[in-house]
Amino acid sequence: GKEGGRRRAMGERAACGETAGPAPTPSPSPSPASAPAPAPAPVPAGGLAQRLLHNTAGDETPPEAEEPKPEGVRRASGDSDGGGGGGRRSESFAFYRDRKEWADIKPVPQDDGPHPVVQIAYSENFKDVYDYFRAVLKLDERSERALSLTTDAIELNAANYTVWHFRRVVLQSLKKDLNEELAYISEIIEDQPKNYQVWYHRQKIVEWLKDSSQELGFISGILEQDAKNYHAWQHRQWVIKEFNLWDNELEYVDQLLEEDVRNNSAWNQRFFVISNTTGFDDVAVLGREVEYTLKMIKRAPHNESAWNYLKGILQDQSLSKYPNLLQQILQLMEKPSSPYLIAFLIDMYEDFLENNCEEKEGTLNKALELCEQLAMKQDTIRQEYWRYFARRLRAKHGVIQQESAPMGSEDSLQECSEGFQRCSE
Amino acid sequence: GGGACPWRSNMAEETTAGEHLEFLRERHVCFFERCLKILPERYCSLETSRLTIAFFALSGLDMLSALHLVDKTSIIEWIYSLQVLPTEDKSNLYRCGFRGSSHLGIPYNVSESHGTHHLYDSGHIAMTYTGLASLVILGDDLKRVNKEACLAGLRALQLEDGSFYAVPEGSENDMRFVYCATCICYMLNDWSGMNTKKAINYIRKSMSYDNGVAQGAGLESHGGSTFCAIASLCLMGKLNEVFSEKELNRIRRWCIMRQQNGFHGRPNKPVDTCYSFWVGATLQLLQIFQYTNFEKNRNYILSTQDRIVGGFAKWPDSHPDALHAYFGVCGLSLIGEAGVCKVHPALNMSIRAFQHLQHLHHTAETKELEQHSESVPDYT
Repeated sequence: GKEGGRRRAMGERAACGETAGPAPTPSPSPSPASAPAPAPAPVPAGGLAQRLLHNTAGDETPPEAEEPKPEGVRRASGDSDGGGGGGRRSESFAFYRDRKEWADIKPVPQDDGPHPVVQIAYSENFKDVYDYFRAVLKLDERSERALSLTTDAIELNAANYTVWHFRRVVLQSLKKDLNEELAYISEIIEDQPKNYQVWYHRQKIVEWLKDSSQELGFISGILEQDAKNYHAWQHRQWVIKEFNLWDNELEYVDQLLEEDVRNNSAWNQRFFVISNTTGFDDVAVLGREVEYTLKMIKRAPHNESAWNYLKGILQDQSLSKYPNLLQQILQLMEKPSSPYLIAFLIDMYEDFLENNCEEKEGTLNKALELCEQLAMKQDTIRQEYWRYFARRLRAKHGVIQQESAPMGSEDSLQECSEGFQRCSE
Repeated sequence: GGGACPWRSNMAEETTAGEHLEFLRERHVCFFERCLKILPERYCSLETSRLTIAFFALSGLDMLSALHLVDKTSIIEWIYSLQVLPTEDKSNLYRCGFRGSSHLGIPYNVSESHGTHHLYDSGHIAMTYTGLASLVILGDDLKRVNKEACLAGLRALQLEDGSFYAVPEGSENDMRFVYCATCICYMLNDWSGMNTKKAINYIRKSMSYDNGVAQGAGLESHGGSTFCAIASLCLMGKLNEVFSEKELNRIRRWCIMRQQNGFHGRPNKPVDTCYSFWVGATLQLLQIFQYTNFEKNRNYILSTQDRIVGGFAKWPDSHPDALHAYFGVCGLSLIGEAGVCKVHPALNMSIRAFQHLQHLHHTAETKELEQHSESVPDYT
């Protein structure tokens, strides 16, 4: 169902591909524009503008219903708990333009020209921070105050990759304590675990530190909140490869699968660990994995992940090399049978056929029967696919090739349309 | 949204079971139009990728044959203002391309042929891709695109393993950016922007044990990266060269198993509207989309339709956004929904926009042939 909370709503967007398509995902609760003290957030004049601001891209709450933001809380994408992370600084109350220590800097505004597209209506506070960021960026000023400015800019928008890059430049220039930075980025990731920039920043810090000691623990924490977070798994695989941290990972995977045998990310990690350590060529390893997977299948027969793993570790050695397995699978059929089991059998039979088994006709017929069983009963959503698959099997392995029964008009139409699609490419 | 909403006129609409089966084209047109104008501050995290939002809105309007409602000329100008042009001394060539927005504070400039020096100004691969795509969709002739600069900028982003960074300063690298790079080369009709052999190798290495394609080697296979991989190979014209029929059948099986009613992106994950395109388009490219269940797919997509503000969300009863609105429409395009134009499943734009691109290519090629024949002396 729905995820609550503004931050996670924003994060949701990133889950659908931040750069290849970030998009506004407004939270269920309204998030008023941040209100800088002392001046109220300016809004373009006029009722129409007001409605545009509040009714674009899915905001269902009319302006009157929104509560004014308490003073001092600046973040547009602020926390639902309102307090901010422990010890983390918010932007202080004064505009940068009013601060004596910044008087030497001329702020640089954004310039979208006469016809801005997808414009974002920034508050005075937001503009103030970023006008000053743009200025120090242009000057390439690598100072403490610039570092502090990046902290404010990040708090307002942690997805701005230029701010992160400049922050790294300044961190290096000033030879800042990277362990402190690791603590900082840990907080940000906890808050926004589906943001690409924060994970990349963490990777760079860990690279510079050459210290991975906190990583597996940190990532486990994130995975406790969302066991399938793709960024977390990606970072985890990077750390393990980079620092050779293979030793305890299979145990970790076992634990995750105990908690949720349907966690596809954990099954993937299992394959990752084993293929990079013992490999699957070792007969003992393969036997152990097949046994393990069958055990998991018995616990939850309707689990695509386990079946995919089973097929995955065997398919390149050719499924037909395991006639014993066939018996074991057939035994599972009654209790209760899942579409994945039937599909696995079909694939085994196909493999037998590919490898010129004896009893070709019988094997083909069994496979075709199972296809029809899926089409009619157990996997009806893929009815057309299973029928197409059956046709291909018959075409490829049908014994009476020359005298093949005349194709039904539907079949020849299918074949023709497939050919047409190929031509039109 | 539900309950006592005083500004909603027709409460009775809610009660019929099948009422959500209507595709509310006009609502979505309004939604996309609004996206193009102004967004509240809470969308600030989109600042650096505003051009991608513009792409969703423009391509979405194009799919709904509603592009005539926008000021094409002005939008084209705005897009060109985002081009990172080479400086006079060409020292920034490796950083050229398109920006996602004006967030760096570079003064608005469409007229000059040279870029201004700025230490941190560079293009972003996804913005170069969506910038070019948006120009094509708007009917622009790409004449103001500095092709050589874009291609140089693109080459600078490719890694040894064949994948791409997003920006020359460094970033994550994965299948998304392989797809962006492929689209850029395809639209510019120039494959010197990338080492296709290395990119193909990266794609092959990203195939998982379960026969889906991940963002990179060893990672979990995913509907989005599978689309990026297959679509890239199709645009390169290399799908059947890279994968055997056996492998393609395995990929087909992985993809078709993603349908639950709508589609999800990974086994045992919830369905999400955008996968109706990511996985649907992949199935189309693999020539088996016709074997999916259209009705269940359509019902799911429409269940995520926002009947009031328009657009689509990833799930029912969730807030719509430009990405899901666009891919919801594209998902419907694949099943032949009335009122929606056909989408090009690899290039991710309407067939009409694609035909405009083809026309640009033919014109350029003809011109080149003429120029070449002019330079050959006539011996007769």
